[in-house]
Amino acid sequence: MIKHIFTLIWNKKGANSLLLIEILLAFIVLFAVLSFVFYNTDRLDDPLGFETENRKYIRFGELDNLNDSTRTFALEELKRQLLDLELVEEVGYGHQAGPFSGSSWCSGNNDLGYQIQACYVVVDEDFIPANGMNIIEGRAFSEEDLNANYQLMIGNQTFMKESFGEKNMIDSIIPYDGQDTKIIGIMDEFKYNGEFEESSGRILLLRDTAYNGFAKFTNAYLKMDPSADVAYEEQISKIVQSTLKTSSFSIQDAPLLRKRANMQTWISIVALLSVCLFLCINVALGLFGVLSYSISRRKAEIGLRRAIGAHSGAIVQQFTMEVLALAGMALLFGIIMAVQIPIFDVVDVPDNVFYRGIIYSTIVVVLVVVLCALYPSIQASRIHPATALHED
Amino acid sequence: MIKLENVNKVYRTKTIETAALKDINFSVEKGEFLSIMGPSGCGKSTLLNIIGLLDEPTNGIVNIGDTSLPKYNTRAMAQFRNKQLGFIFQSFHLIPDLSVRDNVELPLLYRNVSGKDRKMMAEQALESVGLKNRVTHFPSQLSGGQKQRVAIARAIVGNPEIILADEPTGNLDSVMGNEVMDILLRLNSENNTTIIMVTHDENMAKKTHKLMRLYDGQQVA
Repeated sequence: MIKHIFTLIWNKKGANSLLLIEILLAFIVLFAVLSFVFYNTDRLDDPLGFETENRKYIRFGELDNLNDSTRTFALEELKRQLLDLELVEEVGYGHQAGPFSGSSWCSGNNDLGYQIQACYVVVDEDFIPANGMNIIEGRAFSEEDLNANYQLMIGNQTFMKESFGEKNMIDSIIPYDGQDTKIIGIMDEFKYNGEFEESSGRILLLRDTAYNGFAKFTNAYLKMDPSADVAYEEQISKIVQSTLKTSSFSIQDAPLLRKRANMQTWISIVALLSVCLFLCINVALGLFGVLSYSISRRKAEIGLRRAIGAHSGAIVQQFTMEVLALAGMALLFGIIMAVQIPIFDVVDVPDNVFYRGIIYSTIVVVLVVVLCALYPSIQASRIHPATALHED
Repeated sequence: MIKLENVNKVYRTKTIETAALKDINFSVEKGEFLSIMGPSGCGKSTLLNIIGLLDEPTNGIVNIGDTSLPKYNTRAMAQFRNKQLGFIFQSFHLIPDLSVRDNVELPLLYRNVSGKDRKMMAEQALESVGLKNRVTHFPSQLSGGQKQRVAIARAIVGNPEIILADEPTGNLDSVMGNEVMDILLRLNSENNTTIIMVTHDENMAKKTHKLMRLYDGQQVA
């Protein structure tokens, strides 16, 4: 029967080729979208590496209204006054790059045989507790570190693994960004652009009074008491305005920033899945229409097959298998094309994302094809043979 | 071989009831060649469909071989048609997308005969109707007479005991019609195949063993 079905398909190759292309295109679009979805949603499992609950960020920029010395003094004063507030628990500073800032500062080198590439954030000694970050090995920065002989660094797990493999690098001195840099700790991940960001090499560099002075900071990170409400922001605002002598700053709610950052990716995912759903419905309607039309044109053939010994189940089987065989050929082409991506490492995405994309796209296409084929096939099997034989 | 007792067929719609067959009684013995004649709409094809298990009588008994019709379920009837009956139609009913050989092989597909045996049996059947050199042709490349000979090959490929032919020469000119009729007569005499043929052609009907005439669904001769 399989050979018979392929013979029928082959002998109608002109008409079937369009159907085959339609199924193939549907598979390719599904594969692309599902791979994109898997690639993004897989990253949701990786830890963010910092807390956003009860956190507020103050963005005050480079404070061009102040010179270096008054800026340093103003930021020290700001921190002191904020910590004096009853509901502010921690205050840390960081430069432009950082949680939900929308900017990244990255640098790398391969001095002394180390292949180092990472994005960094220059922070003060209170940045880690203010953002609830977890040090899994070594230690966090402390006030005593401010007079260290080296630039001090805390790398995330991905950075350590990518740069040094399994080697223990705590207290090692490495060259980074033109300076001797001492690694004092390893933190969890640090996906500061949100959950959908890929875990990549991230490092924290402690402010250096000589090089990355206090005055370079542009963001303050506050850990608040859970009871602090929106109205409390007004008090913070007054302090910022009076100490930094500017009204050009914003106080942002960290959970909201996190939600917004994720929302952009969710919107892309939902939009693409909607396109896929629309595509599947289109393909389904197309298949359904083509099959229904084909069956109405083949009534006499159905009658003949019934007359010469096909029972109704055999008719359902034949019409369903015809479409499935066609879909099988389209899927075979599609899968051969799709597997080239992981095999030849066309893009820097884990292979399993593409393999899952192939498997799930295949399942969706087969389900759509079977569902669309079944109803017209069942209808075909119900055609009365005596009636069908008299339709020509 | 085939026995019909008090067979009636009534078609009912919401507003009208049409009696297509009324109290049909006849029997055909093994190896007999029966022709059924009558004007259009008299119930000839309906009767043939009932004998061919493609339709059910409203009432009455249809015995084919040792088994009466009600004892068959649809799957068993399909099997019976496949093994015991061969059909020939006025409009040939060849599948245009299949080659001559593939068309002839069709009944064997539903018998799970191997591909090699199907090919061999189809070619033998085509040889017996003089079309062995046309196996790879498609129906559109054949004349009407050749198409009907392919249909005969398809009907006999599974060695059925009964052939039911619904106006097999109706779409053919007299020369081709005679060729087809000669093949049917040869099958009947050489293979002892029972044949029931519906026809409008008196000359063809005269060549058969028995003749039944229908008029308005009733058996008149």
